[in-house]
Amino acid sequence: MAKLAEWLDERFAWRTVWDAIFLRKIPHVNWLYTLGSATLFVAVTQAVTGILLTIYYVPTPDHAYDSVMYITTQLPAGWFIRGLHHWGASAMVILTVLHLLRVFFYGAYKYPREATWITGVLLLLVVSGFGFTGYLVTWDQKADWATTVGTQIAGVAPLVGEWILRIARGGENQSAVTLARFFGTHIWILPAALATLLLTHLYLVIRIGISAVPSRKEE
Amino acid sequence: MDASQKNKMGRRDFMKAVIAGISGVIGAAIGLPAIAYVVGPALTKATDTWIRLGAVNKVELGNPTLFKTIIETQTGWINAEEEFSAYVLTENGQDFVAISNVCTHLGCRVRWIPDEEGFYCPCHNGVFAKDGTVISGPPPRPLDRFESKVEDGVLFVKRG
Repeated sequence: MAKLAEWLDERFAWRTVWDAIFLRKIPHVNWLYTLGSATLFVAVTQAVTGILLTIYYVPTPDHAYDSVMYITTQLPAGWFIRGLHHWGASAMVILTVLHLLRVFFYGAYKYPREATWITGVLLLLVVSGFGFTGYLVTWDQKADWATTVGTQIAGVAPLVGEWILRIARGGENQSAVTLARFFGTHIWILPAALATLLLTHLYLVIRIGISAVPSRKEE
Repeated sequence: MDASQKNKMGRRDFMKAVIAGISGVIGAAIGLPAIAYVVGPALTKATDTWIRLGAVNKVELGNPTLFKTIIETQTGWINAEEEFSAYVLTENGQDFVAISNVCTHLGCRVRWIPDEEGFYCPCHNGVFAKDGTVISGPPPRPLDRFESKVEDGVLFVKRG
């Protein structure tokens, strides 16, 4: 085992990477600093449970709801996997916002961490996108009307509103096309965006380091 | 460092152990249900059902006769209709043998050719005799038989 670790380290230098990630110097901080890691943890859980759900879920109007019911009531632990994804979605939004508030009130977005902040704000938009698109895919009454209202809200924007609404719905009305594009966005476009932004965000956190808790005293 | 200190678990090692333990619990809490969730449908067994094939007097004496019927199936969230077929053979008009038309090699459908006196499989040239035994080709075993019964002149086969 130690020999294998040695062999791998010689080629991958994984110990250097490991040390850079986990043994980096950090200031003396408090529990609020765990909100980012908590968000990351939930994001990973969402990815795992989301992938599991796609094994059975089908994004077509005639079977979407039935497949969701099949997952929830017929499959072993299906209710558990779906439940984790459902509640994890809310947790994701809440944790992202709390993490943002901590960074904001501690002034941690300032030089040299502006880029970390910007990728973070973009990640918040991606998370909102996940919430909005994911809400439709169960294809029940609540999902249907929430998306009708949501896309209608986009529709009232001046000049481009009508255009945005049509792009979002894939036509004038909510249809099979809407469901398919929401699903595709939810499982391909947004995860790709999330992965890219998240890796950049984490790279910056590791490269620049995290800020100390602000204090009144000049040090 | 003396011997007693060496054996003591340091703060760092303690944290490592705790983190590994918690990670293991979380991993198992999601991983084990995930396995059940993925393999679940593969483990459910189809329940035995009697399928109504048709009137026994349609069976030709000494000639395997194909019966086709529509059965309703439920797989996952889809309710569908499926065509079910079987060959029925009788030599005396009293005892009936229901033979599956699914080739035992790789699952293609076999066809009875009266002139050749054999069941022929179009996929890999498997040939079976009238009673389902293998004559030639790759099939590893005779054609399957269904348990059957006759009620009021109507033939039923059991599908498990």
